[in-house]
Amino acid sequence: MAAIGISTATMNGGQKLAMKYFTVAIALFGAQVLFGLLAGLQYLYPDFLYGILDFSINRMLHINAMVVWLLFGFIGSVYWMLEEEAGVPVVGIGLANLIFWIFTLAVVVVVLVFLLVQVGPGEQKSIWLITEGREYIEAPRWADIGIVVCVLAFFYNVSATFAKGKFTNIGGVLVMDLVALAGIYLAGMYYTPNISMDQHWWWWVIHLWVEATWEVLVGCLMAYGLIKTMGVRRKIVETWLYIEVALMFGSGILGLGHHYFWIGTPEYWFTIGGFFSALEPIPLVAMVVHAVFDAGHHKLKSTNNPALAWIIAQAFGNFFGAGVWGFMHTLPQINLYTHGTQWTASHGHLAFFGAYATMVIAFLYIALQKWRGDVYMSSNLVGAWKWKWAIFLLHAGMITMVMALLISGYEQSQIERAIEGSTWMGYFTAQEHRWFMQGMFWRQIGGWIFAAGFVLLAWDLLTIGKRETRPALQVQAE
Amino acid sequence: MLEPVKLANFFIVFFSAASVILFGASYALLFAWSRVKSRPRLMMLAYAAYAGLFISVITLAFAANLFHNGFWTFIVSLMLIGYLAAPHAIWHLCVGTHADEHGDAQLKAPI
Repeated sequence: MAAIGISTATMNGGQKLAMKYFTVAIALFGAQVLFGLLAGLQYLYPDFLYGILDFSINRMLHINAMVVWLLFGFIGSVYWMLEEEAGVPVVGIGLANLIFWIFTLAVVVVVLVFLLVQVGPGEQKSIWLITEGREYIEAPRWADIGIVVCVLAFFYNVSATFAKGKFTNIGGVLVMDLVALAGIYLAGMYYTPNISMDQHWWWWVIHLWVEATWEVLVGCLMAYGLIKTMGVRRKIVETWLYIEVALMFGSGILGLGHHYFWIGTPEYWFTIGGFFSALEPIPLVAMVVHAVFDAGHHKLKSTNNPALAWIIAQAFGNFFGAGVWGFMHTLPQINLYTHGTQWTASHGHLAFFGAYATMVIAFLYIALQKWRGDVYMSSNLVGAWKWKWAIFLLHAGMITMVMALLISGYEQSQIERAIEGSTWMGYFTAQEHRWFMQGMFWRQIGGWIFAAGFVLLAWDLLTIGKRETRPALQVQAE
Repeated sequence: MLEPVKLANFFIVFFSAASVILFGASYALLFAWSRVKSRPRLMMLAYAAYAGLFISVITLAFAANLFHNGFWTFIVSLMLIGYLAAPHAIWHLCVGTHADEHGDAQLKAPI
């Protein structure tokens, strides 16, 4: 890891390990962008890479790369703050390093199998060694078990470190969340030939694992990030962490119901899903009130401007991606037509980027500041244009993609679902419609802009602070 | 118990549902800003935003056929009352959680 202008001397063991996780995360982020571009091109040119790297494979790699790079980013972020929070070195750092290499190797093997083998016969061997074939969680069974083992080892490192040192409130919430992170993933490994039952458990992973345990994890990271970048008082941040978690779980757990509308589950899920979906905006309202309250009492001075900018981007991205885009089609009366169309893809793109990618990127900047030897990263930072243009291009690309997908999804919901009644013919009629194709074209333009933003981000991450000689600005905790 | 949205009402449903969240956020933002800065005029704007939210919820309810069923009518009432009360409740929590660090009288103004 040694390079010019890089200092690992002041970094603790957890932070050195975190840098490894961050490196893999960024590489996988690049893979996500690449396979997204290829999949997008295949909407415009259906023969492109046909028979070599089909759309189904590109899409699978695009989504799985996203899940795994965010997971690597989260694990890295937790290791980054672990020793500082607990006040003692990471317990079992050797195991943690070993798990990192096993996890990385497993990801490489899975990607190679996805690329080179791609599919197998419909038998148990394929499920165990090639792909489970279940949307979003296609990883073969051995890799599923590996993920759970890695998360359990991670849980051991984190909980044992807090147990040995001091258990802060952030630490307490984090440890409890990691139990759920390991436990709920098991639901995705339950196989049954009954498609309704299969989907019932599958949503536990997609909604509860991703939308609940990840949200809480991001809440913990946000709490630490605000303390580090703005010097917000720990007691306030931690109290609000509890409030946000309570609101999030209060509305979010049974918000799962809005995924159970059309999979053959009993009708009462309309009632439960509708009720809790109506409650889901409440945590967002709480976030707005609290942000204004805090902004009114803190001078917005930051030790790390790029990190703060990404934290602010997280608040807006989460609000629009999850809140506005989600509520637009969450009630069953309209979800009947939008479910599974590009409308969902539009919501998914903005919500994942807004709520999760932004937070991991903020942590990368927090980490890089220390890696560079605690250099200055506030206003008038040398070479600041790179991070500013990166954040602009990534957002401009994402917004273009989201709006384009929204138009295509709107057309699908009308023509495929409402007019043609969800028939096979209706599916193709909608896919060939001018509005749909124009949406796909503009989505690709957005993809290229996003890719340019990613390249600039990667360049900035490699160089930021390199020419800085000033020490980091000190912000006193209140 | 479920009456799907008519094709002609699709756009109204999407637009009014998005407006519910946007007006809700505007109401929360202006409400908190008015309290933080002690500017009662902003509170008028906050309640204007709530009026926008009210209209959006009612529009959504008509377009999505929510008034045709008792349960969904209850959900509409819950949204109207819940979104009205939420900023007040959150403000109380803000004042409570910050109470021992700010001796600021304006924060403890009766709500």
